[in-house]
Amino acid sequence: MEHLLVTIGRDMFAIFGVLALCGGIFMVAAKSAVHSVLGFLFTMLCVAGCFLSLDAEFLGMAQILVYAGGIVVLFLFVVMLVELSKYKEKGVFQLQTRSAVVAVVIGAAVFIGVFRNLLFGVASSEALVLRPELAQGLNVAQQNAQAVSRGLFSDYLLPFEILSVILLVALVGAVVLAKRERV
Amino acid sequence: MVNLNTVLLISSLLFAIGIAGVLIRRNALVILMSIELMLNAANLNFIAFARHSGSVSGQAFALLVMGFAAAEVAVGLALVVALYRKRDTVQVDDINLLKG
Repeated sequence: MEHLLVTIGRDMFAIFGVLALCGGIFMVAAKSAVHSVLGFLFTMLCVAGCFLSLDAEFLGMAQILVYAGGIVVLFLFVVMLVELSKYKEKGVFQLQTRSAVVAVVIGAAVFIGVFRNLLFGVASSEALVLRPELAQGLNVAQQNAQAVSRGLFSDYLLPFEILSVILLVALVGAVVLAKRERV
Repeated sequence: MVNLNTVLLISSLLFAIGIAGVLIRRNALVILMSIELMLNAANLNFIAFARHSGSVSGQAFALLVMGFAAAEVAVGLALVVALYRKRDTVQVDDINLLKG
């Protein structure tokens, strides 16, 4: 039992990653839009689990809050607003699906061919570990939120402020776009 | 302990699924969700390399990407709603005014 728990804890990332891939495939392949949204929710939760297993606790929690709490609800609202049922009889996939699949397969083959050495060569067995001498000053493992906020408000203050302006613009733009036109 | 290449492989597969969703689906909502999936794959890479290099810069950038994704999905969904009001459809195949 203890051995099993140790194994699960060690392979937590792989478990969540494979689950996220399954959720993504379900999202793309589902016929109904509501099923797609549910697959998206599952995928986002699994990606949050991946973040947590990579020692990014703050980002994992933010992922759950932003995606599961905000974006999925927004998607569900729009699915309810937009009546999708009358397009049921048309096909789910686009007309050029076959050529798209061929393009994706060729792209994956080229990707694997180019990065073959990096993926399967000698360097591929290098473990992803937190270097203790670098983590000393940042306290990444102990105080993740503190370390992230220190980086965000010192080195990346300008992108942070730009992001806040962009969020404001997106807010106003979304209201203007979605507002019913007056005639 | 997780391998760096496991993370890279899983995130590239997530990105590929997102690209496949954008390319083969005709529902604008599913296309937006696929774009979100691709942004999440990029975030996964950011966090993996942040942990690999022992610096928090990658995590800070991942947080910024998350904010941009929220802004993008708000505008995108507003566009979908406006499109539905104007053209009465959310299927991207039916939106071909510029096709010529």
